[in-house]
Amino acid sequence: MPEDRTAVVDDSSRMLEKALRDLSMQYYSLDRCHQCGICTEACPHTNLRKAERFSPRVFIQKARLGLIDLAGGELWRCTTCGSCLQVCPYEVPLVDIIVSLRNLVFEQGAGYVPPSFKAVLASLAASGNPWREDPDKRADWFEELAPQGESRPEAPEILLFAGCFPSYDRRGRSIARAAVQILREAGIGFDILGNEEKCCGDSALKIGDMKTFERLRKANLEAFSGRHAERIYTLAPHCSHVMKTRYAFGRDNGTAAKPFLLLLHELVVEGRLPLGEVKRARAVFHDPCYLGKYEGITEEPREILARIPGLETAEMAHHGKRSLCCGAGGGGFWLDTLKGERLAEIRLDEAVEAGADLLVTACPYCLAMFEASRASDNRWAGLEILDIGELVLRSLSDKPGM
Amino acid sequence: MTGLKAALTLDEFEIPSVIVEKSGELGGKVRGYGKTFPDFRSGRALVSGLVKRVDSTGMIRVLRNCTVSGIRTEGDHYRVRLSDGTSLDAHAVILAFGFEPFDATRQEEYGYGVCPNVIAAPELEALLDPLGPTKGRLLRPSDGKPVRKAAIIFCVGSRSKRTDSPYCSRICCSYSTKQAIEIKESDPDAQVVCFYMDIRTYGRGFEEMHQYAREIGVKYIRGRVSECCALPDGDILVRAENTLLGKPVQGVFDLVSLSVGMTPSPDTSSLAEMLGIELGTDGFFISADGGLSPHDTGREGIFLAGAVTGLKPIRDCILEGTSAGGRAAAYLRRRRA
Ligand SMILES: Cc1cc2nc3c(=O)[nH]c(=O)nc-3n(C[C@H](O)[C@H](O)[C@H](O)COP(=O)(O)OP(=O)(O)OC[C@H]3O[C@@H](n4cnc5c(N)ncnc54)[C@H](O)[C@@H]3O)c2cc1C
Ligand code: SF4
Ligand code: SF4
Ligand code: SF4
Repeated sequence: MPEDRTAVVDDSSRMLEKALRDLSMQYYSLDRCHQCGICTEACPHTNLRKAERFSPRVFIQKARLGLIDLAGGELWRCTTCGSCLQVCPYEVPLVDIIVSLRNLVFEQGAGYVPPSFKAVLASLAASGNPWREDPDKRADWFEELAPQGESRPEAPEILLFAGCFPSYDRRGRSIARAAVQILREAGIGFDILGNEEKCCGDSALKIGDMKTFERLRKANLEAFSGRHAERIYTLAPHCSHVMKTRYAFGRDNGTAAKPFLLLLHELVVEGRLPLGEVKRARAVFHDPCYLGKYEGITEEPREILARIPGLETAEMAHHGKRSLCCGAGGGGFWLDTLKGERLAEIRLDEAVEAGADLLVTACPYCLAMFEASRASDNRWAGLEILDIGELVLRSLSDKPGM
Repeated sequence: MTGLKAALTLDEFEIPSVIVEKSGELGGKVRGYGKTFPDFRSGRALVSGLVKRVDSTGMIRVLRNCTVSGIRTEGDHYRVRLSDGTSLDAHAVILAFGFEPFDATRQEEYGYGVCPNVIAAPELEALLDPLGPTKGRLLRPSDGKPVRKAAIIFCVGSRSKRTDSPYCSRICCSYSTKQAIEIKESDPDAQVVCFYMDIRTYGRGFEEMHQYAREIGVKYIRGRVSECCALPDGDILVRAENTLLGKPVQGVFDLVSLSVGMTPSPDTSSLAEMLGIELGTDGFFISADGGLSPHDTGREGIFLAGAVTGLKPIRDCILEGTSAGGRAAAYLRRRRA
């Protein structure tokens, strides 16, 4: 039988293109790609030591020929980290293409969706968090911290958006608590959404489940509308980014969502936090994708580290805008990835190679990925992993409430 | 190059002209090329031949180290103010002030300006020039070591929206291939690897040169280079995806040359403003009538020639110098009648 060559000339790519165009968040074109391969070089997956790796260049080529195997896992590998967007000479919106395709698969039930995603999305839709946790216990971490009888300020300067992992997870709560203690130390009046807070929806959006995303967005917007919320600071840069780009506030009422790191930087630089000596350590900073690559915030965290006495700093091989993804974005947090194939491991290795014993980041999801991978192998045992807020808290000579 | 040819053409019509040259020497970039594609003739010889003819006719005045600082209409002619404070009158002006190579420091990931052994194509041209600083021996800048392994990176500052230069510079595939051949011919054991996106050796004799390069062992790898890193001994690590194999590749080289594209000359926008003539979105001049009058501008008596309207090899510049000179002569004759 002659070789089947129909895929190369049939209409599937045009149908795909049309479907994508209908769904797409912005103009895009698969045919803008010149197959130069620089995106694949930038993609964190290329740094994995395995034979079959995800390649954005190959993905685009397959997409235009209608050859993407929707029954396979390929579509779900991209973490939306944005490395490819930094380098593509033709500004091919790879992340939008991938997210749109996921959306297509999701809404039409037309292909494989990782089972772990389904459970997470169902929980997000039902309880506003990914773990089927009780929505009425979301703010327990805060209640436990609040001194008895303290009332919330009437005109808070800022609103702190904790996010799911810092609200529910044991390790994550330490990040949330550190933020609160820092705000109190600096004398900043703040409020939280409490149990009205829901997941920001970033995962749902990047997985392609627009319905769930919309539901979460509406719930949060409603909660915001009852508050003084001109300045929202989020512990995860994913939350502020999705609010900034998808919540569409700001235009009418001046509300702005920013990563908490920026406030931390402001307070440190203005000298409003008396930083004291910490235990000697050699620290590297892992730039979270949605902070470094998407927001261009790379100097601020380093300025904070530089002001902490006792800390020596170094850089990992990939840093700043060229940092590599931890693996959490775009739903990667919910994927079951085999040991030895996790993007976080690349970062841990780079930290060790840089001679670090402290890996600092500014995103709870990066932190969770690193903690999980570190536990899987002894070679990283000497590495401590901290959120930058936790580190600043440690450095506050006069630690409030401790 | 272009300007010399235009002046010599005017001379054939017995029309006197003045060449205003910003630098101390005539001939532009071509003066610095030991060999030129596609026929490997000396660029320097090409220029000196023209300069000799310019000097021998009595009709061409040459002003070196001089530029135009203002132009205005005065009666039936232009009054051209010069940088030395003097001025001159002209009935027609031909703009032939060329192009500027892309500033490779703008593509940070390639380490130009940081790693001494990452150089740009004009510097490689000088290193290959028998009359250049190394007398044509390819010695790398950091330690003078003879280069045995060289990488040439195509499309630097071309074909990229990121650097605001989406266009193809047209000549870099060809001059890079010419440079690769020169390296290989002077040392057949040297390894030369070209990283390219597409090979666009489009002109007469250009593609044959490319085929010859492959025959003598110049290697071509399809893939846009992602980064160059300096190693402690000065060697350069180059990474790219070999897109034909679908595999990431890397190599260590003694020297890396960046095949920079062309950008508009820095004086383009000020002259365009001074004269009130149009620039394209790429920053180069555009000619009148949608290109049907290739040398004309929106201003009567102001003509364009050579690399000011975009990227072209020497051969096209000679052609344009000739035809712009002829066009200006026709214009002057009609005016007089
Ligand atoms: C590395 C490299 C290698 C190349 N090799 C080849 C090759 O082998 N073969 C080939 O065909 N092509 C080659 N080219 C292309 C070639 O350089 C161009 O075709 C040619 O230089 C264009 O000539 P031009 O006279 O239009 O401009 P230019 O060569 O740029 O000359 C412009 C002249 O105008 C002067 N000038 C600039 N501004 C002003 C001003 N404001 N006032 C007065 N004077 C001014 C300059 O000093 C210069 O003398 C190469 C290009 C590069 C970058
Ligand atoms: S966004 Fe990141 S993971 Fe996804 S294709 Fe681009 S570089 Fe790769
Ligand atoms: S970097 Fe852009 S043009 Fe190059 S292969 Fe990737 S998507 Fe295509
Ligand atoms: S001529 Fe070749 S190297 Fe130059 S921009 Fe065009 S394709 Fe790239």
